[in-house]
Amino acid sequence: MLHKVLAIRNLSTSAYTLRLERNGLLFKAGQCFNLGLKNSGVNREYSIYSGENDSYLEFLIKEIKGGAVSPFIRQSLVGEEINLYGPYGSFIIDPKTVNSAQFTFICSGTGIAPFHSFIRSYPNLKYHLINGIRFLSERYDYDKLDITKITTCVSREKWNGFNGRITSYFCKTIINTEKTFYLCGNQKMIQEVYDLLQKNKVSGNKILAEAFF
Amino acid sequence: MKIAISYPPIVNQDGQKAMVSQNRNVQFFKEPTYLLPVIHGQAATWLRDIGYDVLWDDGNSQLKTFDDWYLNLITEAPDIIIFESTTPVMKFYWAVANKLKTDLPHCIIIMTGYHSMRKPEETLRESSVDIVLRSNHVDFVLQKLIPFIDENNNWRNNCLIEGLVFRRDENNFLDTGNFKQIEPLDLAPDVDRDLVQWKNYAYENGNFLQTPGVYATSVVRDCMFGKCSFCRYNGPDLTFSMRSVQKSLDEYQRLIEDYGAREIFDDSGVWYRGAEAREFAQGIIDRGLHKKDCYFGFNTRFGYLDEDTISLLAKANFRFILVGLEAADEETLNRLNKGYGPEDSEHNLKLYTKYGLFPHLTIMVGYYWQNRDQLEKTIATVKRFMFEGIARTLQVTLCTPIDFTPYHQECLDKKVLLTDNYDDFDMSKLIVKTPLPHNNYYDAIRKMYSIAFHPKFIFKQLQFLARFKKKDWQFLFTYGIRAIRRVRQHIFNLTKHQK
Repeated sequence: MLHKVLAIRNLSTSAYTLRLERNGLLFKAGQCFNLGLKNSGVNREYSIYSGENDSYLEFLIKEIKGGAVSPFIRQSLVGEEINLYGPYGSFIIDPKTVNSAQFTFICSGTGIAPFHSFIRSYPNLKYHLINGIRFLSERYDYDKLDITKITTCVSREKWNGFNGRITSYFCKTIINTEKTFYLCGNQKMIQEVYDLLQKNKVSGNKILAEAFF
Repeated sequence: MKIAISYPPIVNQDGQKAMVSQNRNVQFFKEPTYLLPVIHGQAATWLRDIGYDVLWDDGNSQLKTFDDWYLNLITEAPDIIIFESTTPVMKFYWAVANKLKTDLPHCIIIMTGYHSMRKPEETLRESSVDIVLRSNHVDFVLQKLIPFIDENNNWRNNCLIEGLVFRRDENNFLDTGNFKQIEPLDLAPDVDRDLVQWKNYAYENGNFLQTPGVYATSVVRDCMFGKCSFCRYNGPDLTFSMRSVQKSLDEYQRLIEDYGAREIFDDSGVWYRGAEAREFAQGIIDRGLHKKDCYFGFNTRFGYLDEDTISLLAKANFRFILVGLEAADEETLNRLNKGYGPEDSEHNLKLYTKYGLFPHLTIMVGYYWQNRDQLEKTIATVKRFMFEGIARTLQVTLCTPIDFTPYHQECLDKKVLLTDNYDDFDMSKLIVKTPLPHNNYYDAIRKMYSIAFHPKFIFKQLQFLARFKKKDWQFLFTYGIRAIRRVRQHIFNLTKHQK
């Protein structure tokens, strides 16, 4: 399916958002899509960044140097068509628990995308977002989020908030085992956080993970 | 403690043996294909490395009859037996477990596999199995579980290792919760080739152009896409884990230099792509392994490999690229969540063959929605791809809902399943209601396999000889003969229920 580019916002040297026409497409917050340039025959998966009720589709994309897709999409012009397939996947919130459960969302880098989608889609969501980034410039679209519900762990730049990686944060924090934990980002972060959660007696049934390649 | 990792020979009434086939489901064949169960091979290696006496007991590849296999196992009297099962042989495994419990009452039986991990209580109810692994990371769980059992007589009351459901007594089962979805695969050992008697798997495999061939320790466990609705690597409990490129390269080097491997296939659901694929191919070249007369192959998805990567793979002597076409119409690809369109497959196949790779297509027929137009389009497209030489070999199967995949669940929800007898899920007949009579799909299989005998296809293979590449000559004269033998068998297997 071809969807026209509405906008590209450069958020940092390594990340940008791609906004596409929605064309009535239905999805569940947190799902992913395959995106590729028209007629290129190559595509990659990206989690949705926008909400279920937004009039557009938006993706938060990390540009991979030498990559086959992300550098080229970044160069797309408004009105150009992008090949899009999806939605797919079960990294979603059970509608029965949206307004009752308490969630902890843990992400690294552009792994914030599905959580951004959750937050935009479900205004009454009870959540705590723990975002692991390297530099302060990677606090994407914080002006649109409730920052009282976010803990930012910055690993390569000093600031007034938490300095260090997500795992260091968890080592210094009491973990509420009753919450439901969603993990999204690179595999190493997921492995390490999973181990920490389990050491703190969080049941595997309360942990969901989506690894980014 | 003695641990047996066991695969009983299973023979059906036609004298065919159960073999692991497409999507790691079981199909019955007369001509054997012995596939190494890689993760269980890693589990065996790991358990041996931490001091256990491990019996690698693959009755199929060791050419045993069921009776011989059973008697040998009883004689060995292991303390623990580990099985791997899927939907069509579940009932068989339950019966074997019950029989073993009579003859070896103190032996602990552990069931693994994608069917039981999704319905663990069923296996505990229907058989004497003691423990069901909910995890597909069998090696990681077993290297924790076996020592725990070894050191704790009271393990049924105090084991909290995640990813298990086990029997406390007749009707009391304990579920220890979901398993860790991502494991650091570099911690799991490479398969010890001597322990698993690698030569038993090195020759009888229709996909090897040269032998001895081996299956590498998989670089990706499950699938990095993981969304195709028919595939077992799909579900909220699964994501993917990846091994480091350098560790895999080390294994390839050992397989070539120490074991003389001449074809190495990685059966990961989907192999590396992008930077990792290029690093791997470059690593093969840098180590000179591309000049050792060994071909390499893997599974991939359309849309995953760009031209630069394909070109580098070809330089590194990669040959066999197994890719799931499934169907050629847009609606089916969308319903299956394939993540690309029909035009992408042709685009990708042209790139693979431009650089001399040998794409192998896997196709399915008999989806519960598949109408005449869709079926005809698939047949016509496959024929065209084969006649044009942009696909070199193919494999057609009947789409069978298995192991509680989303497609299986969809068939249950829509009430299109014609049977609930697990024995019927062996891919030998259609078991869903379809818009066309089932005979049409069996005919489609016959038509697609018959491409191998078509003059246009043979002419194209002769044309390839003009490139004077060794692999094209091998393909025609070695692989061709072997393939014909297998094509006949496939047609028999997949159309024997045609009326």
